[in-house]
Amino acid sequence: MSETSEKISAYLAPRRLDEALQAMADGDATVFCGGTDLAPQTESGARQYQAKLLNLRRIEGLCGIDTGGGEIRIGAATTISDLRRNAPLAAIAPALVEAAEHFASEQIRNAASVGGNLCNASPAGDMSPPLLVLGAAVELACWRDRAVQVRRVPLEAFFVSPGKTVRRPEELLTAVVFERPADGFVSRFRKSGPRPALEISTVSVALGARIADGRLSGVRVALGSVAPTPLRARHVEAALEGRPLDATTIAAAVAATADDARPIDDVRASAWYRGHLVRVFVEEVLNDVRRD
Amino acid sequence: MQETATASPTVKETLIGQRVRKPDAPDKATGKTRYINDMVLPQMLIGKVLFAGRPHARIVRIDTGAAQKLPGVHAVLTGKDVAELRFGFVRDNVALKDKVRCEHDEIAAVAAETEEIACRALELIEVEYEDLPGVFSPEAGAREDAPQIHDRFPGNKSLAFEFRHGDLAAAEAASELIVDNVFRPHHVTHCCMGTSCAIADFDHNGKLTIWTQTQYPYNYKMDLAPALGIHPGDIRVIQPPVGGAFGSKLDVYPYEPIAALLARKTGRPVKVMYSREEEFKASPTRQAAIIHMRTGCTRDGVLTFRTADVLLDNGAYTSWGPTIPVIMMRTTSGHYRVPVVDFKAQAIYTNNPYAGSFRGYGNVQTTWATAQQMDMLAEMVDIDPLEFHLKNAQRSGEVTPQRSFLRECALVECLETAATASDYSRKRKEYAALRDAPGRYKKGIGLASSIHNAGGAKIHKSDGIGTILKMDDYARVTVITGASEIGQGIDAVITLIVAEELGVPLEHVTLVNNDSDVAPWDVGVHASRTTFIAGNGTRRAARKAKAQILNAAAKMLEESPEDLDLRAGSVVRNTDGAALIKLERVLRQMHFQAEPELVMVTDYYEPKSEPEGAAHVSDHSAAYSHAVHIAEITVDTLTGEIKVDKVTVAQDVGRVINRMGLEGQIEGGLAIGLGYALSEDMRIENGMLKNACFRDYKLITAPEMPPLDLHFIESHCAEGPYGAKGISELPTIVIAPAIANALYNATGVRIFDPPMSPEKVARAIFERCAPAGSGAVEPRLAGTAA
Repeated sequence: MSETSEKISAYLAPRRLDEALQAMADGDATVFCGGTDLAPQTESGARQYQAKLLNLRRIEGLCGIDTGGGEIRIGAATTISDLRRNAPLAAIAPALVEAAEHFASEQIRNAASVGGNLCNASPAGDMSPPLLVLGAAVELACWRDRAVQVRRVPLEAFFVSPGKTVRRPEELLTAVVFERPADGFVSRFRKSGPRPALEISTVSVALGARIADGRLSGVRVALGSVAPTPLRARHVEAALEGRPLDATTIAAAVAATADDARPIDDVRASAWYRGHLVRVFVEEVLNDVRRD
Repeated sequence: MQETATASPTVKETLIGQRVRKPDAPDKATGKTRYINDMVLPQMLIGKVLFAGRPHARIVRIDTGAAQKLPGVHAVLTGKDVAELRFGFVRDNVALKDKVRCEHDEIAAVAAETEEIACRALELIEVEYEDLPGVFSPEAGAREDAPQIHDRFPGNKSLAFEFRHGDLAAAEAASELIVDNVFRPHHVTHCCMGTSCAIADFDHNGKLTIWTQTQYPYNYKMDLAPALGIHPGDIRVIQPPVGGAFGSKLDVYPYEPIAALLARKTGRPVKVMYSREEEFKASPTRQAAIIHMRTGCTRDGVLTFRTADVLLDNGAYTSWGPTIPVIMMRTTSGHYRVPVVDFKAQAIYTNNPYAGSFRGYGNVQTTWATAQQMDMLAEMVDIDPLEFHLKNAQRSGEVTPQRSFLRECALVECLETAATASDYSRKRKEYAALRDAPGRYKKGIGLASSIHNAGGAKIHKSDGIGTILKMDDYARVTVITGASEIGQGIDAVITLIVAEELGVPLEHVTLVNNDSDVAPWDVGVHASRTTFIAGNGTRRAARKAKAQILNAAAKMLEESPEDLDLRAGSVVRNTDGAALIKLERVLRQMHFQAEPELVMVTDYYEPKSEPEGAAHVSDHSAAYSHAVHIAEITVDTLTGEIKVDKVTVAQDVGRVINRMGLEGQIEGGLAIGLGYALSEDMRIENGMLKNACFRDYKLITAPEMPPLDLHFIESHCAEGPYGAKGISELPTIVIAPAIANALYNATGVRIFDPPMSPEKVARAIFERCAPAGSGAVEPRLAGTAA
C-alpha cells in the first residue's frame, strides 16, 4: 500500500509508442493499462511499484482490432469489452469472443486490456487458451539503437511460470496477432468456477481445428489453470489429429488429458476436481463440435 | 383500491401493507449518504492495528521505539497499556494482546497524522514471537494433551449448554426408524459493504464520544466500558449511517476500544477503519459447528425424539458465536412436534477466528440438520415429505418442550401454500424417477421449513424499547427511538406507523435514533425483533399523542373524542370522514391557549415474554413464526454446479406492514442463505485465512439470484403491531437445506458440510456413480458421449 507508493517517482502518460519505450529503456517502469490486476496485486503486496508508473492508455495505435487482412491484429491496449463487441472478430474467432463474454464483470471488462491479461501470465488468464488455439503470437517492442525494435514470440513460448513471461523489462507487449483461420475452422471455449459471475477460472479449455468430412486437422487444444502456465495439450491434440470425430476418438482425447494437465490443489479447487473438469470440458467441446 | 376510497370517504385508507420506500433511499442511491467510513473530524488522527499474522505464539519482545520516533506518530500502544482491561462475554478478550491466540490478534496500535505514516510506523514495530503448537479444531482442542489457549479456561472449555425433555430411552425404543448424521456447518462471514470503522474522541472531562456502526448502542456502553476502565455512563454512542451489520455489530470488537484508547492517549479524535482484507480476517464469523443429530419416528411417520450433540469451534475468544445453542436448542426441540429432546453443546477454544452473531443466529446451522433429517425420514417412511411435514406440524396453541407458546401458528398453511404454488409433490416424484436415467443435467425440488422467534428473544433482563414522540406547531412529527437503523428498514416502518396513526404524510415524520444521549434505551437490533418491538413502541406512543390531540380537539369542536379521528392532516368526524379542522391548527391552538400543552409523549414497551432463564424453559419470545422454502434446481452432474431455478417462499409474517421492506428483507436474507448454501466458505488452514478477498470468497451476486415466488401468510399475531411478526432471519435459515433436499431429489447425493460447492457436489456424484476402485472411467461421462 503506502510503503510501495512512496517508491513511485514519476508518472508518465505518453501519446507515442517510442516515448513509452524510451521511458521503459531502463527497465524501471511499472506498466499500467487497465490496472485490474495491478491494483489488487500492489494492494496485497504481491507486487511492488517501480520508480516509474507508465500509463499506456493514451498511446496512439495501441488500441484497436484489425480484421481486414490475412493477419488479424489486436492492439495490446484493446479492452476486453472492445473485443467482446467486435462483430467481425466474433465471426473469425468465436472462441475468443466467447472467452471475453465470460471474462470477470462488466466493470472489469471495460478496463482490462488484452495485453495486460497476457502479461499478467496467470495460469487462469481467460485470453490465453483461445489465443493459443488460434496460434497467436505477441509483438514485443523496445527502444534500442535509437529506434523501435519489434520481435515476435509465439504465445506458447511467451509464458514461463505464474506471473512470468519472456518479456524483458524494457519491452512492451504492443499487439497480439494470428493468421486468419482457414475455411472450416471451428473453435470453442469453456470455463468454470464456483459461481457464474466474476469468476476466476477453476479450469478452462479451448479447442481450435479444421473440420472436413468428419475429421479434425490442425488441431489445437489449450488448457488454463491446470499447470503453472496456460498450455497446449499436445497429447489431446495427437489423439484427435486426423481422426474421425467419433465416440472412440473423443474417449481417447478425454483419456489423454491426464498426460497434459498437471493440476494442483489450491484455495480455489483440488487437483482432482481440476483434472475432472478438464475431462468434462474436453468431452463437452468435442461433442459440441461433433453435433454441428 | 384508491377508487374505493374516493367513492366512500368514511372508509379509512390504511397504510398497513402498502409499499413504502425507505426514507434514506434517494440519498443512498445517489451517493449523498455520508457513511461513518466517509467521516472526517477536525484534528482527526488515523489509527492502525498491527495484527499477529500467526495463530498461536508467545510474545517474547516488542520494541516500539522506532515507531514512536517517526514524525507524525502520536501514540503507539501495546498489550502493556491495557493490562487487565478485559472485556467480552466471559472477559476473555483484551484490546491489545499479551499472547497470540489467533491470526488477527491485535498486538499493537498506532495513531498518526495520516494512514501512510501509521502504516510506516507499524512496519517499524519489532515483535519477536515464539510460536506455539496450535489447536485448529474443536475435537483437537478437547483432547487431554491439547495446547492450552487461555490459562483461565482449562481443557479449552468455553460455554456449555444442555436441555433434556422426556424419556429418551423409551422414545428410542418406540422408534421404528432413526436417522443419525453428523453435519458440519462452516465458517462464513458477514461481508458488510462498509468495513468495520470507529471514531473515538474524549473530552477533558473524561467523557468518550464514539461514532460506531453498533447495532445495540445501549448495552454497547456496558460492554465497551471495561475495555477502557471507564464508567459506562461516560460513553456517548453516535451511530452514523452504516453499510450493513447483519449481526456483526452486536458486540464490541477490539478495534473499537483501540480507537478509544488511542484517542485518550493523544487527546484527539482517532479513526480506525479496516481494509477489506482486515475485514475478512478480523471481523466476526458465523459460528462453525459439528452437529451430531439423531431423529426418530414411528413406521407411520410420527416423530418420536430428536437429539443433538453439538461441538462448537469457539475460536480464540468468546463473542456471541458460542451462545448460539440458546437458539439451536429451540429448533432442535421445536422444529415440528418433537415429544422427546436431548440437546447438549460444548464450545471449545481453538486458534481459529471467532464467531459473533449473524443473521439466523444458530438456527441456520440447526435447520441445516433438522430439515435434511426430516427429508431423510420421509423417504424412509416412504411418504411424500409434504405429508410427513404436515403430520408433524404444530397447530395454533401448541407449546414446545421448551415452553415456546405457538399462539398463532401458520406452519400448515405455509407448507400447503408453498407446495401448491410450486407443484411440489408431482415434481418431486417425477424428478426422483429420472434420477438415474441418462442425461447430464438433473432437476430437483426440495422442501425445507423452520421455526424462529418472531417477537424478540428475552435473553437480557428486558427486551423493551423506549420511544419519545413529539409534534411541532406545523404537525411535523419527530420520533426519538432506541431502534437502530442498520439498513433493515425500521425507518420506513416507524414512519409508516406514525403516518397511519396520526394521519400525517410520511415525509412529515422525522426519526432521531442515532445518539445514545438523546434516544431512550433499546436492547438492539437482533432476533428479528425491531419491527415487532419498535413497531409496538411507536404505535403506543403515537396513540398516546393521538388521544391527547383528539381530547383537545374535542374540546375545541365541542365534540366527543370517540367520534373524532386523524386523517390526511385533519381532525375528521368518524361517521362521515368530514374534515373539521386542520391538525396543525389544533396543535397551535393547544400550544398557545391559556393552559398551553405541547404534544410530547413517552413510552416504554416491554413485550410479554419470559426471560430465557438458565433452564431454558420459558416462553422467551412474544411470538414465533415459520417459513417454508421450496427450491427448484438444475444440477450439472459433471461439473457439480447447482443452478437455482426458482425459490417459492411461504412465510408467516403475522401481517404485512411495509410490503416493499418485507420483500427486500426476504430477498436479502435469501441472498445470504444462498451464499451459505452454495459458495461462501472461509478457507481456514491451521488458523490462517486463505481467501481474505472477494476474488476467492464467493458471495452470491445478482446473476445468481433466482426468481422468487413470495407468499406472505398473515396469521395476525395478537401481540404484534397490527398483527405483524418479526421476519428477517427465516429467509436466511431455510434456503440451504431446501437446496440440499433438492440436490438429493435430483441426484441421490447429500452434502452434510456446506457449502454445496461444485467440487463437493461433483465428487459426491462421481463417487455415487463410480463403483469403488473402478478407476478413471466415469459411467456418467461415458454415457453422455453418445
